[in-house]
Amino acid sequence: MSVFSLLLGPPLASALLAVAVTPYRRFVGWANALLSLLSLGASVALWGHILAGDVPTSGPGEFLRADALSTLLALCVSVVGALAAWLGPGVGGDDGYDGAQARRFRIFGNLFVFTMLFAVTSNNVGFMWIAIEATTITSALLIPLHVTKASVEASWKYILIGSVGIALAFGGTVLSYFDFVNLAGHREGALNWTVLMASASRLHPQVIQLAFVFILVGYGTKAGLAPMHTWLPDAHSEAPAPLSAMMSGVLLAVALYAVIRWEAVANAAVGTRFTDGLFIALGILSLVIGAFSLVIQRNYKRMLAYSSIEHTGLICVGLALGPLGTFAAMLHLLNHTLAKSMMFFLAGRVLQRYRTTEIGRVSGLLTVMPWTGRLFAAGVLAVVGLPPFGLFISEFALFRAGFAAGRPWLMGLVLVLLVVAFVSMIGHLNRMLYGAPAPGVTVGEGNGWPLVPLGVCAAALVVLGLTLPAPLQELLAGIVEIAGR
Amino acid sequence: MESVFSQLCVLGSSLVLIFGLILLWRRGVTAYINAFLWQSTVLSGVTATVGYFGHDPELYWVAGGLFLLKGVAIPRLLRRMERRFAAERELEPYVNTATSLVVSGLLVLFGYAITRPLVALSQLPTRAGMPLAMGLVLVSLFVVLSRKKALTQVIGFLMLENGLALLAVLGTYGIPLIVELGVFLDVLMGFLVMQIFIYQIHETFESIDVEQLNRLRH
Repeated sequence: MSVFSLLLGPPLASALLAVAVTPYRRFVGWANALLSLLSLGASVALWGHILAGDVPTSGPGEFLRADALSTLLALCVSVVGALAAWLGPGVGGDDGYDGAQARRFRIFGNLFVFTMLFAVTSNNVGFMWIAIEATTITSALLIPLHVTKASVEASWKYILIGSVGIALAFGGTVLSYFDFVNLAGHREGALNWTVLMASASRLHPQVIQLAFVFILVGYGTKAGLAPMHTWLPDAHSEAPAPLSAMMSGVLLAVALYAVIRWEAVANAAVGTRFTDGLFIALGILSLVIGAFSLVIQRNYKRMLAYSSIEHTGLICVGLALGPLGTFAAMLHLLNHTLAKSMMFFLAGRVLQRYRTTEIGRVSGLLTVMPWTGRLFAAGVLAVVGLPPFGLFISEFALFRAGFAAGRPWLMGLVLVLLVVAFVSMIGHLNRMLYGAPAPGVTVGEGNGWPLVPLGVCAAALVVLGLTLPAPLQELLAGIVEIAGR
Repeated sequence: MESVFSQLCVLGSSLVLIFGLILLWRRGVTAYINAFLWQSTVLSGVTATVGYFGHDPELYWVAGGLFLLKGVAIPRLLRRMERRFAAERELEPYVNTATSLVVSGLLVLFGYAITRPLVALSQLPTRAGMPLAMGLVLVSLFVVLSRKKALTQVIGFLMLENGLALLAVLGTYGIPLIVELGVFLDVLMGFLVMQIFIYQIHETFESIDVEQLNRLRH
C-alpha cells in the first residue's frame, strides 16, 4: 500500500464509519483514535523518504506529491488530527456532548483532517484550492456543535468571509494559469505545481504580481492575516475545543502552506523583493492588531485566537527575511502548532469546569485543577516566547535572520510588539492561576488521562527549545530551498 | 468570423456585468434571484460560445454544468428560502444607491486598470471581455461588504464566483475540466452549508438581518 493511502485513507475511513454507524456508538470514536495513529505513522514515513533524498509521488501525472514542505505540514496535521481524535467528543467520559454531536464531530472533523492532508499533498494547485475551500465547509459545520447565538454568528462570519477570501485565491490561480497558458499553451498537468515551477522564470512578471496579490489576500484570509482576520477570533473562540485546536494549530498553517507554494512561483518570476514587501506589510499589521487586541482581552479563548493572529504575522515577517528567516518561520510554525493546539484543548477543560470564557471569572485555576493549571501556565509561557520552550528558539532565530538581512528597525518594531503581547498575556495568566477558587466550582482534576498527550506536547516543546534534531533541521532546510530562497 | 466571436464575448460579458449591477439599485430579493439566474444563463451561453468558436468541446460540459447548477438548481433553492422569509424585505443597505453606483463605476474602472497587462499579453479573441469579468469580481465583493441581509450576501458571493468563472473562460478557454468539476462541487456544498446557516440564523435570531450578528466583539 502506498504511503499516501495510509496518510489519506484513515481519516476518510473514520468519517465513513461514523456515517455508517447510526446512532453514534463509543467504538466509532475509539476506531477513529486508533486509525489516526496510522496517518501519523504515514507522515513520519514521508519524513523518512525526504531524509533518504527522494520525493514520493503517486497517481497519474504525479497527482499526489510530498516534498519537504508537504511533509512538515502533513506531520503537523496528523499530530493535531490524532490529538483531536483521542480527545474529541465521544471517546472519554462525560464531556458535555451527546451522541448526535459526537457523531457529527467524527464525520466532519475527520473530513476536515482529510481535506487538510489532501491540500498539502496535492501537486495540482487547482486541487489544492478545492481542498482548502472544502476545509471551510467541513469546519464551519462543526462550529455550532452547541447551537447558541454566539456560535451561529461566528460560523456565519467564518463561512462568508472564508468563502469570499478563498474565491479570491481562485482568481489568483486562474490568473497564473492564464499566464502559463499564454506562455506554453494548454498542456497536460499545467496546474501542477512542478510544471508551473519549471517555467516560472519565464512567466509574465506583471501578471504574476497581480495573481500573487489575489492569492495572498485569498489564502491570507484563511491564515488569519490582518486586515482579513475578522472572522478568526469569533470562530476560534466559539468552536468546540478540538476544532479550535485544529483550526488554530493547523488550518492557519495549511493556508500559509498555499501561500508559500505560490511564493516560490512568484519569487522565480519576479524576484524576492516583491513578495518580501507584501509579507512584511501584512505581517506587521497582523502583529499590531494581534498584540493590541491581547491587551484589552477579557476572554481567554479569544486571547488565544488573537495570539494566533500575532504568530501568523510573525511567521509572515519571517518569510520575508531571506533563507534564515524562512527557516526560522517554518520552525516557528511547527512550534506554534504544538503549543496552540495544546492550549486550546486545555482551554476546553477550563471552560468545561468553570462554564465561562471570561478571564475575570476564572480564578484559582492552580487550586481547582492543579495539572491543567500548570500545563496551561507552561503553554502561555511557551506562546509568549520564554525559554526553555521551542518558540523562544524560533523567535530568536527569526531576530537573528532579521539583523542578518539588514533590517534592524523592522526587528525593533517586532520586538516591541512581542513585548506588548508578552506583558498582556502574562497579566491575564496571573489573574487566572491564583486567588480563591471561583464559587460553585468543584475542586479536583477530574478525568485526568487527556493530560497525558497534552503533557507530551509540552515535553516536545521543551525538547525543541533545547535542541534542534538533525532530521528536523534537514527537513526545514529542504523547505527553504522549495520556497525559492 | 473572429470579429463576430470577439463581439459576442464582449456582449455576453457586458450582460453578465450588468446583471451584477442590478443588485445595487433594486431592493427586493426576488429581483436579486432573477438577476443571478439570468447572469448564470448568459455566463453558460458565453462558455458554450467560446467552446464553439474555440473548438473546445469540453466547454459544452462546463456550460451545461453551469446552467444546471447556477441557472436552475441554486435559483430554485434561493426561491424556496425567499418564500420562507417573505416577511423580510431588503432594508436600506449600509451604503445608499447613488453612492453604490458611483463606487461600482470606479471599481469597474479599476478592473480595467489592473487587467491591462492581461489584455496586452493575450492573443485570444476573447480578451476584451476580461476587464468586465474583473469588474464583476470587484463589484460583487463590494455587494457582499455593503448589504445587511444574509441572503443578499450569499447572492453577492455567488456572483463573485460567476465573475471568476467568466475570467477563466475568457482568459484561458477554461481551466481543466476535472478541476472545474471540483469547483462545481465546492460551490454546491458551500451554498448548501450557507443555506443551513441562514435557516439557523433565522431560527436563533428570528431575522436574517446580519446587523443582529454583533454579539462577538473584541
